[in-house]
Amino acid sequence: MYTLLSGLYKYMFQKDEYCILILGLDNAGKTTFLEQTKTKFSKNYKGMSLSKITTTVGLNIGTIDVGNARLMFWDLGGQEDLQSLWDKYYAESHGVIYVIDSTDEKRLSESKEAFEKMISSESLDGVPLLVLANKQDVENCLSVPDIKTAFSDCAPKIGKRDCLVQPCTALTGDGVNEGIEWMVKCVVRNIHRPPRQKDIT
Amino acid sequence: MRILILGLDGAGKTTILYRLQVGEVVTTIPTIGFNVETVSYKNLKFQVWDLGGQTSIRPYWRCYYSNTDAVIYVVDSSDRDRMGISKLELVAMLEEEELKKAILVVFANKQDMEQAMTPTEVANALGLPCLKDRKWQIFKTSATKGTGLDEAMEWLVESLKSRQ
Repeated sequence: MYTLLSGLYKYMFQKDEYCILILGLDNAGKTTFLEQTKTKFSKNYKGMSLSKITTTVGLNIGTIDVGNARLMFWDLGGQEDLQSLWDKYYAESHGVIYVIDSTDEKRLSESKEAFEKMISSESLDGVPLLVLANKQDVENCLSVPDIKTAFSDCAPKIGKRDCLVQPCTALTGDGVNEGIEWMVKCVVRNIHRPPRQKDIT
Repeated sequence: MRILILGLDGAGKTTILYRLQVGEVVTTIPTIGFNVETVSYKNLKFQVWDLGGQTSIRPYWRCYYSNTDAVIYVVDSSDRDRMGISKLELVAMLEEEELKKAILVVFANKQDMEQAMTPTEVANALGLPCLKDRKWQIFKTSATKGTGLDEAMEWLVESLKSRQ
């Protein structure tokens, strides 16, 4: 009887767990985006004060529940030599959020290079890609069309996977919900990467 | 808040503890047992435990794990030969249930030495990219010169304040 009931309980309340990587150059706003996401999607989370966020040389994590899905975020450092750690996470990822600093035109090509290298990896085949054009609150920043144009020759490498370029301001939270909701929809319907199953605790 | 400073012998744990507490370099001898001090930083009070790092006393680290909020893991960045042992100790430590929620800060210490490994090299050597369920961050430090410690403590304070 116990097994039956606990089985039923698990069936009802078990969450499908998806791992989402947050990548991009240093100072793009990855950690701010993660903190903002955690604040928006979890009830009792008192976030880090966004102004106190410093350069990540390591890993930040976060978990949110959206409907039946549980997203687990891995926010990695973006400095050049730290990019060599990114691929250690590819095989287990269900989605990638790539953050671009729309105010930094000078480093756009560097960001594109890192992006291209990332999507060329076989271990990310078929994984949904959310590209965030961050810092849209700053005047005269690059627009979504500008960024799409700059990244246009990546299209063949992106191939058939789901990809969305979303304008966003991590600092204020604009565009965060839209991006996360799109990502949830994509990882759930992506049959090539089934979720990790984990019981609710 | 309770913080442990761990790492192999000669990594610089005791020097770091007293740098944090009195802001000076003290002459240290190998720690047999532990040193414990209260350190205040940005209105937060920490009880910081520095445990001896010699092979024979490492098994006793686990006696101090309960209620630990953060672990400062110190490595001698210039000691490439013992990086493997340091990794094994770190991995064994992180498997402990009592440390499941603890934040990990790695100090890549002795950065003043010429042959010091970079933070990325240290991260790889310690197998940090295999950690998927824990927040971690690595800092370049030199306890004798006093560099990197402020940044690291600042980061630690902010991280402890915002635990999910």
